Amino acid sequence: MEEPRIGVYICWCGTNIAKMVDVEYIAEEVKKLQNVVVSRNYKYMCSDPGQDLIIKDIKENNLNRIVVSACSPRIHELTFRKALENAGLNSYLFEMANIREHVSWVHTDRKEATEKAKSLVMAAIKRVGFHESLAKRSVEINPASLIIGGGIAGLTAALEIADTGKQVYLIEKKNSLGGNLAFVDLSFPDLSSVKQILDPKIEKINKHPNIKVFLNTEIDEIFGYVGNFETKLFENTKSEETLKFGNIIVATGLKPFDPSVIPEYAYGKLPDVITSIEFEKMLKEGIIRTKAGKEPKNIGIIHCVGSRNNKYNEYCSRTCCATGLKYANQLRDALPEAGIYELYGDMRVFGKGCEEFYTQTSRKDIVFMMFDQRNDLPKIKANTSKKDFNMIIEINEKLSGEELNIPVDMVVLMVGAQAQDNAKDISHAVGISMCGNAFYIERHPKLDPVATTTDGVYIVGSCQGPKGIIDSVSQTRAAVSRILGTIAKGSVQVEVTTAVVNEDVCCGCQTCISVCPYTAISFNPEKNISVVNEVLCKGCGTCGSACPTGAIRSRHFTDLQILSQIEGIMSLELEEV
Amino acid sequence: MSFEPKIVSFLCNWCSYTGADLAGTSRMKYAANIRIIRVMCSGRVDPTFVLKAFREGADGVLICGCHPGDCHYHEGNYKCLRRYKLLTKYIKQMGIDDKRLRLEWISASEGKQFAELANEMAETLRNLGPANIKDKLDFFQKTKSVNEDENVEKEKMEAI
Ligand code: FES
Repeated sequence: MEEPRIGVYICWCGTNIAKMVDVEYIAEEVKKLQNVVVSRNYKYMCSDPGQDLIIKDIKENNLNRIVVSACSPRIHELTFRKALENAGLNSYLFEMANIREHVSWVHTDRKEATEKAKSLVMAAIKRVGFHESLAKRSVEINPASLIIGGGIAGLTAALEIADTGKQVYLIEKKNSLGGNLAFVDLSFPDLSSVKQILDPKIEKINKHPNIKVFLNTEIDEIFGYVGNFETKLFENTKSEETLKFGNIIVATGLKPFDPSVIPEYAYGKLPDVITSIEFEKMLKEGIIRTKAGKEPKNIGIIHCVGSRNNKYNEYCSRTCCATGLKYANQLRDALPEAGIYELYGDMRVFGKGCEEFYTQTSRKDIVFMMFDQRNDLPKIKANTSKKDFNMIIEINEKLSGEELNIPVDMVVLMVGAQAQDNAKDISHAVGISMCGNAFYIERHPKLDPVATTTDGVYIVGSCQGPKGIIDSVSQTRAAVSRILGTIAKGSVQVEVTTAVVNEDVCCGCQTCISVCPYTAISFNPEKNISVVNEVLCKGCGTCGSACPTGAIRSRHFTDLQILSQIEGIMSLELEEV
Repeated sequence: MSFEPKIVSFLCNWCSYTGADLAGTSRMKYAANIRIIRVMCSGRVDPTFVLKAFREGADGVLICGCHPGDCHYHEGNYKCLRRYKLLTKYIKQMGIDDKRLRLEWISASEGKQFAELANEMAETLRNLGPANIKDKLDFFQKTKSVNEDENVEKEKMEAI
């Protein structure tokens, strides 16, 4: 192996790292280490000038190993690997030390933080000396796509892809397309008909030569990797079909919150307390009546039901405020004389045209009342004394500071959004992660918001977090453009951090075969050795740690690389600076 | 100055490392004793990595992986769990308190849990005191080489 010539770059990340870690000191210190040829600190390593610095140094100083000490490799490892490639160096001759997420952002003592950062940089320097050039493998992309979920996001994706002449498989677990929107009458803020958005799409999809729709179908397990996925479908549990596709869009949407768990609202106990979903149905049918068949004289609309409250869901469901205002408008048109009360914690009507919509609505003789969303929810009670209204809402009105009793005949609960019940099953099937609320996690919220950590799998619409039609469609089109891009290229480069067997050392014990989760290792009886199938291997490294002779090497996570990283990490005392 | 333990920690890329990153992006504060090494899966954690960390002077070793059933590679964390159980027995035999080696499940959303775990483990190890394995082994090696030298001397003497 050639002698390592290492370049080390310590990033300030503006003040994000530099205020807690003495970057200049570390850069000076590591200069003393063997094989470190260049050591610098710079404000923003990920910026173009930062990357150019590396490229220039590689060329001028003949560097053959690079360490960047900055943010998490999950954010910028690829950025810097590309810089190495641009300088003509193999991108795997690079290692990152995470001194932002794992140091400067989580520690409060500058001395300790600096010491820790230094040890992580030392570890990276030790490790990178053992890095090897790895050749990327190029795999062909199957131009077909699988779309899971037939709501507005899934429908948009299907049409966008199919219209370019590519095959689409659209899977829907229910017996019809349209998702949650199929039950919605008008959309905000323009009060346009949802039917007019949805129906033409569904019609087109049903006739489209490039789209195959599977209703009543759920995904079980998906095999393969980007460009070459495969699954077996059981439609109506009758026919079995094997599908092959290159990319996946997960568009499984949301589930409405069940308000019966909120005691204050008496949902399920008082018949005229209904959810926004149920009210939407009334609006669609054009008949607004109480359970007793009477036209309601006074209607309360309660916001943030199950949202923005630690007892239920902490997050904002993002569409309910504007939907609540939409109801006020529709009610005012249908029942000009009715009393309409909007009870809210905070009014959050963001987005283009939405604040204007709020202002317009407030001029329509609607009463707005504010309550404490976290600590003091209004209470809905049956009215037993008088006959001309059946319920009372008790509210501590925040703006006036008064305790008020509002007589009503109907209450609409603006229920929030939750992840689907089968969110976990789907996440396992496609290999993506969920956040604490069971919504799916994107690769990076700002830099890569529709991709996931599994190449070829994209998340769009409310399965990633509650959102309205506009955002869902934008996300979907973003994911579609990503997919069409890879299809146009025809192939993608995939990681080659797979396992390899050293034939001379392998003793043929087959332990690796028994631990491999992908049956990627087979036995060659003639040579009495194990053989790894690189296409099937996903590089988890389990075989490497089970191999008793050390014959298996997990590329880029070799024993030598990790052991030297441990040495580097431990080569400093905590106390000394 | 009070004793500050050194903890080497192996985190799987998909859940636990992401969870530790989340602790960072959420600006949660925790003790600086822990140093993280990324592996693709907790199943990659070879027992020799753990022993090496102790050998190099770690006072504690923490392995984190995805929750049972959530491993990105299906069952790497179960493999890790089995190895961990054996390894705990083994290190006990070597005179290392088994509280010095921990295996915990941290999901990508459990930044808070990770921060708490880091604090908790640092506190446990502060109370346990230094592991001193490096010193012991270094001493052992030194005396061994001294003995060897003596033997050589003896042989020389005999030869004379
Ligand atoms: S990937 Fe996290 S434990 Fe296997």
